[in-house]
Amino acid sequence: MPLPETILAASGPRRSRLSHALTQNIGLALVVALLIACVILYCVLYIVTQHRLPGGFELTSTLNNTMPLAFAALAQTLVVLTRGIDLSVGGVIDLTNAVAALTLMGGPVSTTLWTIAILGIGALCGLLNGVLVAIGRLQPILVTLSTLSIFQGIAIRILPQPGGAMPPGFTGVLANPNVPLSLIYIPIIGILWAIFRRTPLGVAVFAIGNDAMAASSHGISVKRTTILAYMLGGVASACAGLFLAANATAGDATTGDTYTLTSIVAAVLGGVSLFGGRGSGLGALFGAFVTVMVVNILFFAHIDPLYQTFYEGLFLLAAVIAANVIGQIVRRRR
Amino acid sequence: MSASQKQPFLNKERRRILYAFLAGIVLFIVGEMVRPGFASPSGIRAILVVASFVGIVAAGQTFVILIGGIDLSVPWVLNAGAILMVTSSLGHDARAIPALALTLGMGAAVGALNGAGVALLGIPAVVMTLAMNGIMQGLTLGLSGGMTCTSCGAYAPPVVQAAVHQSFLGLPIVLWIWIAIIIVVSFLLAMTRFGRMTYTVGNNARASHLAGIHVSGVTIVLYALSGFFSALAGIMLVGFGGQAALGMGDPYLFQSIAAVVIGGVYILGGRGHYLGSVAGAISLTVLVSVLLAFNMPDYGRSIVYGIVILALLLLYGREEDSA
Repeated sequence: MPLPETILAASGPRRSRLSHALTQNIGLALVVALLIACVILYCVLYIVTQHRLPGGFELTSTLNNTMPLAFAALAQTLVVLTRGIDLSVGGVIDLTNAVAALTLMGGPVSTTLWTIAILGIGALCGLLNGVLVAIGRLQPILVTLSTLSIFQGIAIRILPQPGGAMPPGFTGVLANPNVPLSLIYIPIIGILWAIFRRTPLGVAVFAIGNDAMAASSHGISVKRTTILAYMLGGVASACAGLFLAANATAGDATTGDTYTLTSIVAAVLGGVSLFGGRGSGLGALFGAFVTVMVVNILFFAHIDPLYQTFYEGLFLLAAVIAANVIGQIVRRRR
Repeated sequence: MSASQKQPFLNKERRRILYAFLAGIVLFIVGEMVRPGFASPSGIRAILVVASFVGIVAAGQTFVILIGGIDLSVPWVLNAGAILMVTSSLGHDARAIPALALTLGMGAAVGALNGAGVALLGIPAVVMTLAMNGIMQGLTLGLSGGMTCTSCGAYAPPVVQAAVHQSFLGLPIVLWIWIAIIIVVSFLLAMTRFGRMTYTVGNNARASHLAGIHVSGVTIVLYALSGFFSALAGIMLVGFGGQAALGMGDPYLFQSIAAVVIGGVYILGGRGHYLGSVAGAISLTVLVSVLLAFNMPDYGRSIVYGIVILALLLLYGREEDSA
């Protein structure tokens, strides 16, 4: 079991700032390395099979396919950091996706207002989860398993058949099919995360994830922090639902289901610890890109699609084991 | 909870099991009011047969949840078991025994791998069993060619079908099997060294290790048992329906976890009994049947299902107030 970083930092001699920053953010460093390896492998396979370099189209479609997962992973991270888990991510995505399909058809003003309302729906879903966990004193996994079922049911009630159409302006902003516009969301997420990390709420989220008792005795309200973390997670899931709708240019009340599990995969690949208090939203974002790149690589490696989940499972295990081993080596060297 | 306090016979855990059984009985009464004949002996028998599939999966889930783990690989271990059963027996009674051994062995081996990943490599149980579910899904789909292989359409051996459908002393044989499992699992947990080790590891793995318990060994055995019961449920399901299908294991993940929790097994480990999971499996199955009796559409069932589980948890599944 690894010792808390603070104890190690206090006991050992001080290294250079770079080395210190690297060891503090080893999870993030590993996922960036993993992503670079995936991109290189992808390019090599692409050149071998297509005899040219991947271009703007590949970049745009990869970005647009990743953004829903990136936000889902962000939602998962916010909750996992508090030592919880959110299995209702897929349900919130279903629900917001279904509402988007029915409401986003008017002009720019109405679309904007409905977009904000849909984010509010995500916040309400998160509020329900957070209240049940913090005030209801129920285990997160059980609460979100139950609300997953409830949200999925409501989503199918709202949109029994896939359908609806997205206004071109909405699709053009969130999932532009022609230019890699989604690139701008990466620095936006990065900056927002850096700000969040430094707000009192961000500090409190990490604190209760590491030790709720200690955080509470330092004056942090565990209940309030937990509820807010689930609400922010709900908003992030709603973002995922909106990006998914924009990318598919239609709504579907069931396509969100898979995001519950893939959001956990992306967060874990991004160095977020399921034991709480450790990880970053930026890591989860890169974890989402790795998850999508692995699917692309399997495609261009001509792997039988029937075996796809087999290789994804093996890859997840290999990545987690490798991260464990490297993390231990780095910590021991300090 | 102070140790000096005298424990009443109906302590918290036993009360939860009782509540879960009572919920099932109330639901049977509601069903009888909505549709007379719902709680007739044949109606009850039909519901119990369906509940037994959930209950068998829940046996494995109980074992791993008792040590604070979870098994998310249930759906595709079950599905792989079902397909392996029909493809290796090809519907011949003569091949039934080797096919049974092969299928149950596959389940136990996959479960043991889960346990090894959790205990020896330190991978969180959620990640390990999630990855294993994907691995089994890919292998099952790939090796069966997406269920297009010639032997995939084979039927379960008549012996296995008879074990589910035929009755013995007024009860379907599958219920006798379930009763045997209930007795064996309860005995194993309550009366044996192995059971006491399971609870000890669930309460405090580190203290158990210091007390000389082989924690990783216990963990691997428990996950192997979970894989075993998933495969067994797969066999029972092909016996019930005659043939295997893709996705037949999917409902059993949610239901098995819900059954275990409604039965009062503590999700973080160390407390609970299989009898509680049995009560949970029966209550959940009756609930679904009642909602069907109300002619409730899919989405409504999904919503009510979630609300009922939440309500039951709020009634008796709350944590101690630490603040």
